[in-house]
Amino acid sequence: MKVSVKFWSYLADHAGCKKAEIEIVNGATLAKLHEAVCEQFPKLAGSKNSTLKAVGLEYEDDDFVLSDGDEVSFFPPVQGG
Amino acid sequence: MKTELTISTDAIDESALAKRREMSGGMGAVVCFLGVVRGSEGDNAISAIDYEAFEPMARRQFELLFAELGQRWPVESVRLVHRIGVVPVNEPSLWLEVVAPHRPEAFDACQFLIDEMKKKVPIWKKPLPA
Repeated sequence: MKVSVKFWSYLADHAGCKKAEIEIVNGATLAKLHEAVCEQFPKLAGSKNSTLKAVGLEYEDDDFVLSDGDEVSFFPPVQGG
Repeated sequence: MKTELTISTDAIDESALAKRREMSGGMGAVVCFLGVVRGSEGDNAISAIDYEAFEPMARRQFELLFAELGQRWPVESVRLVHRIGVVPVNEPSLWLEVVAPHRPEAFDACQFLIDEMKKKVPIWKKPLPA
C-alpha cells in the first residue's frame, strides 16, 4: 500500500522535501512507517525519538495500523505562542 | 460556551478585538493574555519569528482544547488569535481572551489553554537573526 508523509518545520529541512509517497506493506503500523522513512531519509533518524506523528488531523501512537492512502504528518515538538 | 479562533498572517489588533467583546450580565471576569515576540532567542538577538502552522490540524487541536476547557470551567466565551508568518520583535503573536463569572476560573482556563497549546497545537517558530 502507499501512504503520503508530510514533513513540517525543520524535519522538512532534514528530509530535503516537504512530502513523500512511501510504499509499505499492508497493515503496517505507524512505527514501521517511521522506520522506513528514517531509512529513506537518514537525517531524520537523529530526531526520531522526539518526532510527533499524526494521521489526518489526529495524533496517533506507534501501534496505529495504517491504511492505504493515509495522510501522515511527522513534526518536531510544537512551539506555538 | 462561545469560541472564536483566528489563525492569520494579519497583525493582531487588540483594540478592535476589545471593541467586539460580548458578555452577559452574570460575567464578572475577563482575562486577556498577549504573547509578544522577544528580541532574543537564547543568547542570540533576533529581528522576528517566522511562525509555521499545519493549519487544519492546529484548528482541530484548538477545538479539542476548547471542548476540554468548557467541560472543566464555567467559561462563557474564549477568543483566540494566533498570528503566523513573520512576526517582528515587540509585536504580539498570540491574543487570548477568556470571559467567566469569576477571576479564578478565568485565570485557570487561560493558563490551561496556553500550556496545552504549547504541547499539542502544531505551530512552530523559526527565529530570524537581527
